[in-house]
Amino acid sequence: MTDPAEKITLDEWDHRYRELCCRGLREPDYGGSLRRHAEAGGDRRLLRLRMDNSAAALRLWNLLLSEEDRLHRARAEGKYLVGAMKDLGTVPVMAYALDNTIAFYPDGAWWTPCLMEHSEGLLALADRLGVDDSFCPVRAMVAALVDQKHFPVPDTLVCSVGATCDDMAAIAQRIDELGFPVFWWEIPHRRAAEPDEPAVELPDGFRAPAAQVEFVAGGLDRVRRHLEAETGQSLDDARLAAGIGRANHVRRLLARLRHFAYLGDPSPMPALEMMIAEILSIHFCSNWTETVAVLEDLLAEVRRRLVAGGGHGAPGTIRIYWVNPPADLRAMNLLEECGGRICGTDYMIAHALDPIPEDVPPLEALARAALADPLVGSTADRAARICREAEASEAEAVVVSRIPGASHCASEALLVGQNVGRRLGLPVLDLEVPPVLDAMEPTVRARLEALVETAVNRRHA
Amino acid sequence: MISAGIDVGSRTVKVVLWDHARRQVIDSAVADQGIDQDALAGRLLEELLARHGLARGDVRAIVATGYGRKLVSAADRAVTEITCQRWGVSHHVPEARTIVDIGGQDSKLIRLDGAGAVLDFAMNDRCAAGTGRFLEVVATRLGTRIGDLGGLADESRAPARISSMCVVFAETEIVGLLASGVAPADIVAGVQASIATRVAAMGGRTVEGPVVFTGGVALVPGMVGALESALGLPVRVAPDSQTTAALGAALLAVADV
Repeated sequence: MTDPAEKITLDEWDHRYRELCCRGLREPDYGGSLRRHAEAGGDRRLLRLRMDNSAAALRLWNLLLSEEDRLHRARAEGKYLVGAMKDLGTVPVMAYALDNTIAFYPDGAWWTPCLMEHSEGLLALADRLGVDDSFCPVRAMVAALVDQKHFPVPDTLVCSVGATCDDMAAIAQRIDELGFPVFWWEIPHRRAAEPDEPAVELPDGFRAPAAQVEFVAGGLDRVRRHLEAETGQSLDDARLAAGIGRANHVRRLLARLRHFAYLGDPSPMPALEMMIAEILSIHFCSNWTETVAVLEDLLAEVRRRLVAGGGHGAPGTIRIYWVNPPADLRAMNLLEECGGRICGTDYMIAHALDPIPEDVPPLEALARAALADPLVGSTADRAARICREAEASEAEAVVVSRIPGASHCASEALLVGQNVGRRLGLPVLDLEVPPVLDAMEPTVRARLEALVETAVNRRHA
Repeated sequence: MISAGIDVGSRTVKVVLWDHARRQVIDSAVADQGIDQDALAGRLLEELLARHGLARGDVRAIVATGYGRKLVSAADRAVTEITCQRWGVSHHVPEARTIVDIGGQDSKLIRLDGAGAVLDFAMNDRCAAGTGRFLEVVATRLGTRIGDLGGLADESRAPARISSMCVVFAETEIVGLLASGVAPADIVAGVQASIATRVAAMGGRTVEGPVVFTGGVALVPGMVGALESALGLPVRVAPDSQTTAALGAALLAVADV
């Protein structure tokens, strides 16, 4: 199915889906028309998005939007559900190393109102539960746990604390108070080793004191014993190593996909689908096997388009490096409508894209991966990585997308902007994206257009 | 060759006619914003042309800018205010390194390199506290005209501290200050300092001069001084500061031909 790449609306997808079916589309059990997610599932935000027209993108969207069904089915089948919180990519590796165990991120419920335009009233319920809009939209998970209309209540909640956002820590504590006990483990603020202090290299190239790695490995060992006690299974090093191997398989696939998608010209896969694909890395959307299949399909589609010389937008479109996931997915469409394209990203999950070391004991490897979390180190470290990647990806401008209320966003736009400006001389746009940006669309659009204009003028200067 | 720039702002519409051969502005006009922005912009352009015995056919290219730039049917293309301000300011002050633009409902800080190209920009269009709207609110509350605020501010001996981050709450604060006997002059000076401080903050720790001030608020007496205090740098008001973006649009239109 080598049709030209297009971005199409949900209405257009109705027709496109029938067309693909007539041509023999083969789908997994969660397949089907995207329309059902908007109508039966209430994901009204889909009506405002423009999506890639490939069968691979259809499968990606269906995997993403069927996760709650998958979790409820897992519960009905007696599988053990782990609700991981904050670490974004570490605890699920441990959970998926066990049999009949599924891990997911209740924090991810913040995307639920994003897709639902608040129709489920999750944020209003969070207000009533004492977590108002001065907090990050992650607060939606408090309401989702209480109203139980979305994901099933996990058998255990495991949350990292320490070098985490104030919002996240407060929200997780509120969840604990509301009767959903949380198993805590500590992630310290990553610091540089003293001159005479032993240090180890992390997957992102930064170094951390060996003592910090050992400390985090100790914390993860507590998580291991907790999961063993809860599930009645042994989570020995061999199992953990196999789990790391599976996680790395996904990360390597994503690395290839990102390489081709972000370097290909014209862009072979839109920003929106690529963002969702990247986020599969943190917990495999509750199905490792299907995540692998979805990524392989996307990779094959991207390669087909590159060979055919097709893609989205014109060749030579302004290359943008994007920092933080926007609270409204529509922002990714807007960037492309304004004449930009993504050439690299830091969606706060950079550590979930780097391969986990396989040449050290598994808990130490996971500790190194956890300490590479961009939000665990200093903003200067994060900016350094962004500079390195932006330069390598030949970015012409950087967008730092701020999430309203998110405490990690308070100063990072300024600090990242100053670093990127000083080191690379690139224009940086500080862009606040609300959970539903419709009312602010002219404003967001004007800023993105101005950034693209600035980059175009610099290119021609 | 004649080109035109049309700036459809939140409070006013501005049109500039540019004579490229003579490298000078033929004329400019400003009108209060209305409901049908396209018709208003078209009418203003026609009036300006008629004033000089010109017809639409004499205008080779038109660029629209401002928040309503995409509504102008007469325009050949739309360009953001960031780019247009840079062109308009560079025409008057080629050595400018920073542009501060405060309009009725938004404010911007644009950094330029030595060649006048945009390095970076920051915009405040979410909150009225750093915009001309704040001055309108305080003028209404004090029962005076916005044009008289500067004279009032000159009389201030101890500018009031306006602590609210939001114009709505600041208005409440102003009522409280008046009730407690604070002089209107001190309140106006405090509001001007508050706007200037917010705008200066967009520049971060380092703002390079020369700084050029554009937008309708640059015409309000007292604001230049407030901005100079906040930035710690001398500030020059752009000639015809209200029409700088429209001029930049007219200059960009020439490049299209």
